[in-house]
Amino acid sequence: MAPAKEKSVWKRIAQSPRTVTLVWVLGLIIIWEAGATIVGFTKRTPENVLPHLYQILASVFSFKKVTATQTAAQVVIINAGITLGRAAIGFIIGTAVGYLLALFMRLFVAVEKIVFPYLMLIQMIPILGMAPIVLAMSHDIDKSRIIIAAILTFYPVAVNTLAGFKSIEEEKFELFHSYAATTPEVYIKMMIPSSIPYLFTGLKISAPMAVTASILVDTLQGGGGLGCMLSQSLKHAMSIYVFWQIVFFSAFVGILSYYLMVLLEKVVTPGRKIAVQKTGGNE
Amino acid sequence: MADVYEAGQTAGGVAETVSDSQPVKTQIVIQNLSVIYKDDGTRGDTVALQDVNLDIKKGEFVSLVGPSGCGKTTLLRVIADLIPATAGDVFISGLTPREARLEKRFGIVFQNPVLMDWRTIRRNVCLPLELLKMPKPLRTKKVTEMLDLVGLQEFGHHYPRELSGGMQQRVGIARALAIDPRILLMDEPFSALDEFTKEKLHEDLLHIWQQTNKTVVFVTHNIQEAVFLSDRVVVFSPHPGRVTSVVNITIPRPRTLSMKNTVEFTELVANVRSGFVGV
Repeated sequence: MAPAKEKSVWKRIAQSPRTVTLVWVLGLIIIWEAGATIVGFTKRTPENVLPHLYQILASVFSFKKVTATQTAAQVVIINAGITLGRAAIGFIIGTAVGYLLALFMRLFVAVEKIVFPYLMLIQMIPILGMAPIVLAMSHDIDKSRIIIAAILTFYPVAVNTLAGFKSIEEEKFELFHSYAATTPEVYIKMMIPSSIPYLFTGLKISAPMAVTASILVDTLQGGGGLGCMLSQSLKHAMSIYVFWQIVFFSAFVGILSYYLMVLLEKVVTPGRKIAVQKTGGNE
Repeated sequence: MADVYEAGQTAGGVAETVSDSQPVKTQIVIQNLSVIYKDDGTRGDTVALQDVNLDIKKGEFVSLVGPSGCGKTTLLRVIADLIPATAGDVFISGLTPREARLEKRFGIVFQNPVLMDWRTIRRNVCLPLELLKMPKPLRTKKVTEMLDLVGLQEFGHHYPRELSGGMQQRVGIARALAIDPRILLMDEPFSALDEFTKEKLHEDLLHIWQQTNKTVVFVTHNIQEAVFLSDRVVVFSPHPGRVTSVVNITIPRPRTLSMKNTVEFTELVANVRSGFVGV
């Protein structure tokens, strides 16, 4: 029954998530390359705005300077440091504020009633609308960039952590009640640890958002950062390869930040099953 | 008075059931207890318990049985000071439920194991001891002792999700007994388990009970379970929740699963069943 077996193997390969991912990636590459070829025929600028993938890859390792002193890869790395530094600081502040806010909302129902609608409102204001307001208030573009990253982070953290507090089974409270535990003990030994997976759900949403938002608010003014370089490179003040390198790099860092949170959760909560959004062949 | 008696009792840890050889003390007194759930809507008030009178002796294994809504869990929760009585009194060795709770007289086992999934099995059992501010060396010793008691020595460093439902419930029992409470309150602890696991845990629970000599109040809707485990079965009926009969279980101890096949067992089950009214 060799043919039957062979068929089943093929079927298995065809249905495996890795194959699906592979087909997807191959498909994207084909579409990209087709696009690059077509744009290449019609180009009016010295550089192809949609370069071939190998050209982008080669530009990463190229020693050709795109500014007075730096190669394309150097531009990306140096500015990434600036942007990601701001994103990280904002992310940490936002996480702390979001978590504390959730704690207060759980402790005092009045706080939840008063604060929650404002949270929703803040969330609905687009970043680009929020930026000038924050800038006017902080008088400093770098500070306001951090604040914006923090604002975007704190909402998913606060909402998810609050949901975590609310989802704790009644029996857990009864158990602690039966041991005559004090309120701080209930929080420290039960409610806060119970909320950690929900906190991470929030963090997994907000980490890539903090990265994306930081790049976006870079474009508002000068002063370096990936977003700055992005708009400059598009205006052909610099190599187009800087633009594409930043695009790929940002996407990569965004995904990386998500998995960084997954990793952190695994370290912090050894006893738990960790929810990872199923994509391709992961786990 | 009761305290003096009980303090002397716990020292030896002798495996002995309540029998004629010792003076039998009443540990839980329930007098004319009523619990009414106020309903602000249209359905009116719900009488969860009406005029319940019951005495539970020290070291006794008492089951509360009845269909859903008969008030058996309500009674357990009043004893545990989880809900207040509307009328009547409950005394635990002369203390109100609140006082008894603050004195940490209760170990509670719920239908779900209610384990902290971020803590290992050892640290789950340790939790009430931490709340009791017990020094660390003593805690370690006590946890080991408890895990031995429920037969989970080898699983101390596992996490709850790595254990089966039956094992998780054993951890719940070990945790409840860790603070050495006088009374073990069990609210349908085995109802979520399969029949084989359940029977094994029945035997184990009786074994643990005989070793520790706790008073057990066991809520269940399973008549066989109640008869097999208990000294007395208290039958509840709903609308309003009340006690309709109390059946003394005369099957000798130690009990084995084969006793379920005896005529006596079957008769007692029938006896308990006849106590239900209006179901």
